[in-house]
Order: sequence, then C-alpha cells, then structure tokens
Amino acid sequence: MTNYIPTIGIEVHVELKTKTKIFSNSKNGYGQMANSLTNVVDLGYPGTLPTLNEEVINLAIRAATVLNCKIRKQMHFDRKNYFYPDNPKNYQITQARTPIGYDGYVEINVGGTPKKIYIEEMHIEEDTCKSAHRGDKTLLDFNRAGVPLIEIVTKPCISSGEEAKAYLEKLRETLFYSDISDCKIEEGSMRADANVSIREKEEEPFRTKVEIKNIGSISNVGLSIEKEIERQKKLYENHETFKEQTRRFDDKLQDTVLMRVKETGNDYRYFPEPDIPFVVITDEMIEHAKEKIPMLPDERRKVYGEKGLLEANANKLIQNRSLSDFFNTLLEENIDFKIASNILLGDVSAYLNKEEKSITDTTLTKERFIELVKTYSDGTISSKNLKEMLDSIMESDKSIKDIMQEQGIENISDDAELKQIIHNIILENQESVTDFKNGHDRALKYLMGQVMKETKGKANPRIANEILLEELK
Amino acid sequence: MKYLNKKIEEIHTLLKEGKIKPIDLVEEAFENIENNKELNAYITLNKEEAIKEAKELENIEVDNLLFGLPIALKDNIITKGLRTTCGSHILDNFIPIYDATIVDKIKAKHMIIIGKTNMDEFAMGSSSRTSYFGPPKNPWNKEKICGGSSGGSAATIAARDVLFAIGSDTGGSIRQPASYTGIVGMKPTYGRISRYGLVAFASSLDQMGPMTKNVYENAVLLNAIVGKDEKDLTSANKEEEDFTRLIGKDVKGMKIAVPNFLMGDIVSDEVKNKMNETIKLLKENDITVDFIDVKYLENAMTLYQIIAMGEASSNLARFDGIRYGFQAENVKNIEDLYLETRRQGFGEEVKRRIMVGSYLLSGENAKTYYNKALSIRDDMRKELKNVFKKYDLMIGPTTVTTAYDLTDPMNDPRKSFMDDVLVIPVNMAGLPGMNIPIGFDQKHMPIGMQIIGNSFEEAKMYQLASFIEKELNLNLTPGGEE
Repeated sequence: MTNYIPTIGIEVHVELKTKTKIFSNSKNGYGQMANSLTNVVDLGYPGTLPTLNEEVINLAIRAATVLNCKIRKQMHFDRKNYFYPDNPKNYQITQARTPIGYDGYVEINVGGTPKKIYIEEMHIEEDTCKSAHRGDKTLLDFNRAGVPLIEIVTKPCISSGEEAKAYLEKLRETLFYSDISDCKIEEGSMRADANVSIREKEEEPFRTKVEIKNIGSISNVGLSIEKEIERQKKLYENHETFKEQTRRFDDKLQDTVLMRVKETGNDYRYFPEPDIPFVVITDEMIEHAKEKIPMLPDERRKVYGEKGLLEANANKLIQNRSLSDFFNTLLEENIDFKIASNILLGDVSAYLNKEEKSITDTTLTKERFIELVKTYSDGTISSKNLKEMLDSIMESDKSIKDIMQEQGIENISDDAELKQIIHNIILENQESVTDFKNGHDRALKYLMGQVMKETKGKANPRIANEILLEELK
Repeated sequence: MKYLNKKIEEIHTLLKEGKIKPIDLVEEAFENIENNKELNAYITLNKEEAIKEAKELENIEVDNLLFGLPIALKDNIITKGLRTTCGSHILDNFIPIYDATIVDKIKAKHMIIIGKTNMDEFAMGSSSRTSYFGPPKNPWNKEKICGGSSGGSAATIAARDVLFAIGSDTGGSIRQPASYTGIVGMKPTYGRISRYGLVAFASSLDQMGPMTKNVYENAVLLNAIVGKDEKDLTSANKEEEDFTRLIGKDVKGMKIAVPNFLMGDIVSDEVKNKMNETIKLLKENDITVDFIDVKYLENAMTLYQIIAMGEASSNLARFDGIRYGFQAENVKNIEDLYLETRRQGFGEEVKRRIMVGSYLLSGENAKTYYNKALSIRDDMRKELKNVFKKYDLMIGPTTVTTAYDLTDPMNDPRKSFMDDVLVIPVNMAGLPGMNIPIGFDQKHMPIGMQIIGNSFEEAKMYQLASFIEKELNLNLTPGGEE
C-alpha cells in the first residue's frame, strides 16, 4: 500500500460563559425549559436590533490571548445569509472579514514530541437555536439562539487523529482554565468539526477534503479521523475518486456516514452588519482581559513538578479544576506537597465523589488542610486514622487536633514503650527476622502489621518503622 | 365644533383649561378619517384602544404640548397589540408583542395612537401603490398619487385628519410624499431617532421623522421622539436640545448653497420656476444663495440601489412563515414553506428588490458592488460635509415634478426611482433633510422645497423653513377652507 500523508484542519465552536446573550439581554443558560430564555431579539422579530455584550468582547480578547493570537484593533461584524429554521433572522451575525484573533498557536505533545498547532483565525458569532425532530415535526428551542460563540480555525497542519485529540484536549483545558467556556462537549458548549484529506507527497497539492461534523467526544474525533483516513486510502488504492462532502460520526457504527455531498461553493452573501458600528479594541481592553486570566494548565504542570509531584498526580489535579485551585492556594506553604496531593487525590477525592460535592462546598479550609498534611507527614496520624477522621474533617470546622482528641485517636509515639513492644515482637517472630535478613521485604510488612496489631493501630507508623529497622540490624 | 384644524398651542390651552377633553379630539379624528375614507390613508385604525386611552387621560394632568393629541404612525412601526403590516400580505395578520422605542416616547407624552397609515410594501416604492391594501390618494386631487413610501401619513396630514404623523425615510420616503401633498416632513440626521421597532428596509439608511402641517408642530414632535437608545447601537448620543428654539429667528446673513444637480434638466420647468422664485425671496432678505457643484450627487441613485437592495434582501429574510406572519398552506417541506410563503406573501416590487439585492451580494458581486458602493458613499459624505464648511444649509426642489396620476404605469422601476432622485443623496450621507411647501403648479398641486442641513443641525433647518413658511403664507388646506 502507498504511504499517504493526512492533512487535517479543525474548526471548534466554543460557547462563551457570559451572563447574557451576545446581542440581547436574555440569559445565557443551559438545561432550562425550552424557549424560556428568549426575547424578541433572539426570535428575530421584525424591527428588533442587536446590542453588543461587552463581556463577549472581553472573553474573546482573553481567548485570543491564551491561544497566542494577534488581536485585531478595529473589527466589525458581518451577516452570513442562509435560510434554515434554526437561524431566526435567516442570517447569522458573525465575523467573516475581521476576525478578532489571527495567527495563533497551541502547543501539544504527542508521544514526547512537542508540536505547534497553528490557528488561522478566531472569530465571534452567535449560536443558532436547537432543533429536535419528532416524527415529521421539527421543534425549535431558541434558548441557544444568540448564545455567544467563538470559532477557532486551525491551519491544515494536523497530521493524525492522535494530534487532533491532543489539540482538542489542550484547547479544552486552556479555555476552561481561563474561564472562557465550560467546554462541555456533551452539552454542546464545545463542538468540533474536522476537515480531512490525504495525499501521497508533500509537494502534491491538497486533494479532495471531507468534513466530519457532529462528533460527540474528543476520542471520537480521533477515531473518526483515523477511520476517514483509512476510507480515503482505500478509495485511492482502488483508483476511485470522490466528491467534497460532509460526513458525521455515528456512535453506533463507530464510523463516519455520509450526510451530504457539497454542491458548488455555498454563497453566504456576506456583508458588514449595518446595525452594529465598528468595534475598536483598545490596549486598555486587552490589558483588562489579560488581568483576570488564572494560572493555566501548562504552568500548573510546571509548578507542580517543581514541588515534587508525580506527573500523573499533577495531571489528575489539573483534571479537577477546584482541587487544582485549592492546591494552588498552598503553594507558598512549607508542607510536603507530594503528601498533600496524595491526600487530595485519594481520600478527599473519594469523599467528594461519594458526596457529589466540590471541595469548595466542604469545611476543608486551607489552614485545616495544612494542619492535616503536617499531622500526617510527621506520622502523628496514620492513613487509617485519616480515613476514620475524614467525615469530620470535611464536615466540621474543628481543628485536626480536636478531631483526634474527640475520636480518641492517639498514637504511641513514646520511643521507650514502642521499643519494648517491638523487641518482644522480634523475639516472638524469629522466622520473619530470618526472612527479612535473607532479603524478603515482605517480612518487614508482616512485622509492622504485628506492631500495629499489638498497639491496636496506635503506633506512630513512622517511628515504629524506624525502631523496627534499628532492632533488626 | 372642529379643533384639529387649529394650531397646537390653541388646542393645548383648550385642553389645559378643561374646555375640551382628549376624547373630543379622538372622536373628531375618527370622524375626519371616516369622512376621508376614500383617501385610503389607513391600513388599521386603533379605535377602541384610542378611545380607552383618551378617557384614561382625563384623570391625568395636561403636562406637555403634545398631551392628548392624536397621532398616526406609518405601518412599519411596531406597535404592541396593534396590527403592523408594513403594507404587506406577509404581515397582514401580525400583531406585535412589543412597542418600538419611538412608540414608548410617544406614549410617554400621552399622545394617542389613532391608527397605522398606508405605505408602499416594506417602504419599497415611491407612490404607495405597492401597498397590499391599495394606494392612498392625494387629498389635493384624488386621481393623483400622494407619493411614497409614507403616502398614508402624508395624506392624513394633508387632509387635516390629525395634526401629527410619523413616516420613515430610506430614500426620500418622508420628504417626497410631503412635497406631493403640501406638508412639512423632516428626515432627521441618521441616528437621531432610535430605529428599534422600525421594521428594517435598509438599516444603514432608514430613519423615521415627523410629518405635520406646519414647521413649528414638526419641531415640537421631533423634540419628543429623539434620543440615544440602548437598544439601537446606531442611535446618536446627543445633548438634549429644543428644535423650536431658532424658529422665527432672523435669517439675515445666512449662507445657502444650491447644488446644480438639484436644479438640472431632470427637474420640470414649473418646479424649477417656483424654486427660483423662492431663491429670489431669500436673496431679497439678505440671504446669500450660491449655485455650486457637488461631486457624486449624480451617483447617489446607483449607490442607493446597491446598498438599499443589498441590505433589504437580508433584512427581509426573516419573513419565512415560521414564527409570525403569513404562512403558506399545504407545503411539502421546509424549502417549500419558504418558497411558497414568500412567493405568496410578498408583492412584485419587494420580490424584485430582494432578488436584485441577493444578486448584488452574491460571491464576487459583494466586492464589485456593495463594498465599492460603501466606499464611494464615504467619499460622497465627505464631499457633502465639505459644503457645510462654507454654507449653513443647502436647498433645492424635493421632487422633479408634482404628483402624477395614480393610473401612470408602474412597470418602469427606473422611473419610480426618478421620483426620489433629488432626495436620495441626503440618505446616503446620513444628513437631515426636510420638505416645505413653496407653492402650487397650474393644476394646483403642491410643489415642495428641500432643505438639507449638516449632521444634527435640524434646528437651523427649521429656522429657514419657518421664515419661508411665514413669508409665503400659503393656504395649504386642500379644498381651500381654513
């Protein structure tokens, strides 16, 4: 089989997390009763005019910044004219000629190789309404009509499904962490379309491209691209040609299916929106938008690495924004960050998952968590103690010390007492001592188990361990 | 007893002294409209609601000059609960659920909306004959057109049904019918009045304005309806001013330009002669009047057609039968619904303009035509603004002829645009323009003069207009009595 070079470009629509819609003062919300978040402007009533939500411009500037785009200082909106029931005015207000951001990039890393995915342009537009088909009827929910979107278009520089996935993951965490969008693919607040073509040689011009739409998850974007590459390869191998077309990913088939063959170029009759004056973006606006950007995932990864976290733990923390934000409040403290991350990702996460809570909904403050980490690090409490105390830690505002007292958790840290106990255990378990000396680490664990049994779990594990090793010499 | 042929100050005093009540005025207005039924000036009357409102006003203090006065609105202005058709079949069942900003302002003055006036369908036309509801007739001669597209508003004012009407002017649609019917019509500076609730024809040109029997009442109404509106980003943020403040003030020393284009060969001799008489009058009163060349004016019509039709093709896309208005029956699918609703719902002229507009914006045409037109429009605007560095105002005839016969053929769209050739440049530049009557032709049909001002200098236009009005002292009531 000939070797083919795939070329992939991705367009992503992201709904902005604003309080109100882009061109009207209706609320921007998800999951509300159909058509409850609409007004005459959203419905395209005769005589209505768009206003412009400043929050949208602010978030779009922020998006352009975090995607390393250049920002256009003077821009306008355009009308894209086409008839469709989900398009209430039968034109969509978008930016065709003066996208707010251009020439940006996102850095990805696939299999240890870093690569820049270049962004052609990024523009602002309004979302359409949502249609639901019931038999031969179509129902329209205008709650989504006029929700602000940014559309981010890459250059055709992606060469595999893996890269596409990495790009989307990166885009999602970046936009999510900069508070631009909640980026929930399942709720449609982030939507990706991929353009795929393949060719034999770099020098060859691009061949016919296929657009894949309506892909419901990032992993399916990867999968559908790989499937599409295979499909095109087979066609070329069989000397078949195909027309430019739009396909969609079918969850059940786990493959793409044809939606429509593209006719000669769509004519959207773009022209500058006469109802919205040109927008001038000042340096102050750009500064203002940048000011509020929280620490982004890449920087978090770097900082967490410096604090000694394992890469896996760092990534897990970043996947949970509220835990990561909580962790960030500790960065200046003098604590064992590895232990702190273990507690957060272990017992604390388990508690939060079980209770379906966010860490901010619990009583766990920064100060109490620091006390907890310190008490744990010096062996004052064991992991077993921690589990016993967890509910109180998360639900009361008592200090860790008070909780220990209340629950009668009291570790034997008295060296002399422990020494005596350990001495006796060694005498009674000579077989294990021999095993240990022959290099069986398991034996140490067994002996520690005996210590804990003898002390009913009250031995300070760190001190007990030290004494045990000493005695075994 | 008749009150609505009196001056606004007199009516106000009568109301204030309790000698008459708003209901008297409302009843008289409906009586007038009924007597003038033949004019077909109205598409919808607001009878029940108007009477109810008039009665409610009896308990409210008479707090402003416009209090309790009936007003007619062009039927492309959105009125909550009151049918708004735009003169089209496609909206002939459309009852809006909100009020235009101008309607809010009119209601805030406690004026009473008497009805919605007849107009060219979606304001597309110059004789109001493209109305789905049949053409309105000229009160001076019922065989004649009353111009358009605000023909119904012009007719009801000329016939003295009511004192006040609102029209809209995209390419002369206030000034031209005002000229044909012998009334005062003002198209203020683009941005003066919020367009929120005006059904859009060409967004970058549309502007509403007052239509009245005299200059003072025009300025009083303008006072009430201007202002920055949060709902219209193209509305201008200007300090409040009294547009009547210069009325009656001395005009000596004013400098006025007459663009040669406005007095060219396209203008009929009768109109030109009357215009020259007026110029003579001005000169006799120590006003400088110079004939000057202004570039680009001859291009205005072409630019207008490209911009207005391009924008209209997009603005009218929303009428698809899905959410409001007429919906075609027995359709096969969504495509069919669009096609049939629009085929049956729109009239010929509207369809023609939508098609031409769509063509003009298609593919490369957008660059060749629309974008180019926008850029020439900028040059034209600069050229016109330049004139005001040396002159206070510009004047010229409003129309090339007086009103013609209702039976004249309509099949030549270029002729129809000829009706507006003198008024369109003002829209292209966003400037204020107004019509005042300056006399009659041999058949006693009114002749109008256009006054063009610099942006936001409507007060100065009223100053000159009031001078001419006083000097000419024309009898402007059709039939002659007053």
